[in-house]
Amino acid sequence: MPVVSAAVCPHPPLLVPEIASGAAPELDDLRAKCLSAVEHLSVADRLLVLGSGTAATSYDGSAGGSFGAYGAPGVRLGTGAAVLPLSLAMGGWLIEQTKAAGLPRSYVAVPTDARPARCLELGREIAAGTDRIGLLVMGDGSARRSEHSPVHLHPRAEIFDTTVARALDRADSAVLAALDPDLAADLHAAGRAPWQILAGVLETGLSGDLTYHAAPYGIGYFVASFT
Amino acid sequence: MAERGVLRLGGRSFAAGEFALMAIVNRTPDSFFDRGATFATEAAHQAIDQAVADGADLVDIGGVKAGYGEPVSEDEELRRTVDFVAGIRARHPELVISVDTYRSGVARRVAEAGADLINDTWAGADPEVAAVAAEFGTGLVCSHVGGLSPRTDPHRMAYDDVVADVIRTTTALADRAVAAGVRPDGILIDPTHDFGKNTLQSLELTRRLDELAATGWPVLVAVSNKDFIGETLELPPGQRGNGTLAALTVSAWLGARVFRVHDVPAARQALDLVAVLRGTAQPAGTRRSLA
Repeated sequence: MPVVSAAVCPHPPLLVPEIASGAAPELDDLRAKCLSAVEHLSVADRLLVLGSGTAATSYDGSAGGSFGAYGAPGVRLGTGAAVLPLSLAMGGWLIEQTKAAGLPRSYVAVPTDARPARCLELGREIAAGTDRIGLLVMGDGSARRSEHSPVHLHPRAEIFDTTVARALDRADSAVLAALDPDLAADLHAAGRAPWQILAGVLETGLSGDLTYHAAPYGIGYFVASFT
Repeated sequence: MAERGVLRLGGRSFAAGEFALMAIVNRTPDSFFDRGATFATEAAHQAIDQAVADGADLVDIGGVKAGYGEPVSEDEELRRTVDFVAGIRARHPELVISVDTYRSGVARRVAEAGADLINDTWAGADPEVAAVAAEFGTGLVCSHVGGLSPRTDPHRMAYDDVVADVIRTTTALADRAVAAGVRPDGILIDPTHDFGKNTLQSLELTRRLDELAATGWPVLVAVSNKDFIGETLELPPGQRGNGTLAALTVSAWLGARVFRVHDVPAARQALDLVAVLRGTAQPAGTRRSLA
């Protein structure tokens, strides 16, 4: 059983208290749920962090990430130039605060427009490995959930996110695999491709537990654990 | 490079070190701060008369709410602005009239009606706006919105260096405007706080405004009652006046030249004081301990 534990977390920069300043307590609950889900990954021998980016790229565990581009240059991880896209930098930042920080780690960015079939294939490849992997899947729901969303309300955003939430809770590989990439792009749901990689992994039979599903700023956030 | 010391808009010239105050008058039913107070024509004219009496050098007329909102067709924007601009021109022959629009069709018609400055807040989204400014000899504001499309809100905008990005974008637009034939002494650059920026990024721009001023292009700042002030002080739009004056004062000290504001008398006082502190103006009268 190569993927022994998996977690799904969102990646808003607002999770980083140095960025949120006085607004940080508003996300205390979400941050705690994320850290708890990541903590569960520490049963593995090594960690793999998946998230959306502009291109398919792999990074080793020492890769640099920074939140300077969002206004907090003091918050960094890894060494060297900040190369990690936001989703992976957030994943690394979460890991650093848990006991999973001690495990060897690598990162994979998947393009936001990656085809579902390619994502599933990648998930199956990860699941077919021999290492006991803890998989951290970074992904956000629709950024069009409300009138005050960053991108204006889309009538299908809520049902899309609810479908994802239910699929994560049930570890329903088929539903995640069937998410429509064009609709997800239209809804500005950054998590579609990483979730479809997870779908390939979930075919091995992990069970899911959704611990957070809300859109406090008009963007869907999910936290789930798979064991 | 053209002579950049003097800014010429309409019949007015603003020398280096002189602060020009631009009063906001929205012809919209839904703008974030005034919520439609000057949507009606007569109320808008009265607001302009008052702004002039309070010391405004320019008025900025907007027919479309900047942020997301009900779609406003070009015809509707024209209805809200063109006759109104002609009316202001008739009432205030010397007043510099700016129109906040990103549409070249609107820019053309308001320029014909007497506008002196096109405030292209959406950073050249319609490249023909510069051609209109060139044709009519109006000034042009070159803005920075981080690549956003008109009337959208920022989501996780990321910059290696927000100030460098603003300088690169606005000066490129200014150079493009000059190449299109816009008068170099009528061009302003505007870092456009909040647009395509989070609060930390807008604060960084304010803190380092001297770097924008050092480009030589006159800098316009529009900080009035914006969210970066509200988020910094945790105050709603109606309570950001004092924070606005602080941001305005620092911007003036660091070299901004034109200030787009809601509260004209307050801004005029703050800027008059900064002008004296900077040594570009004299106190109105100094009797204390001197007689």
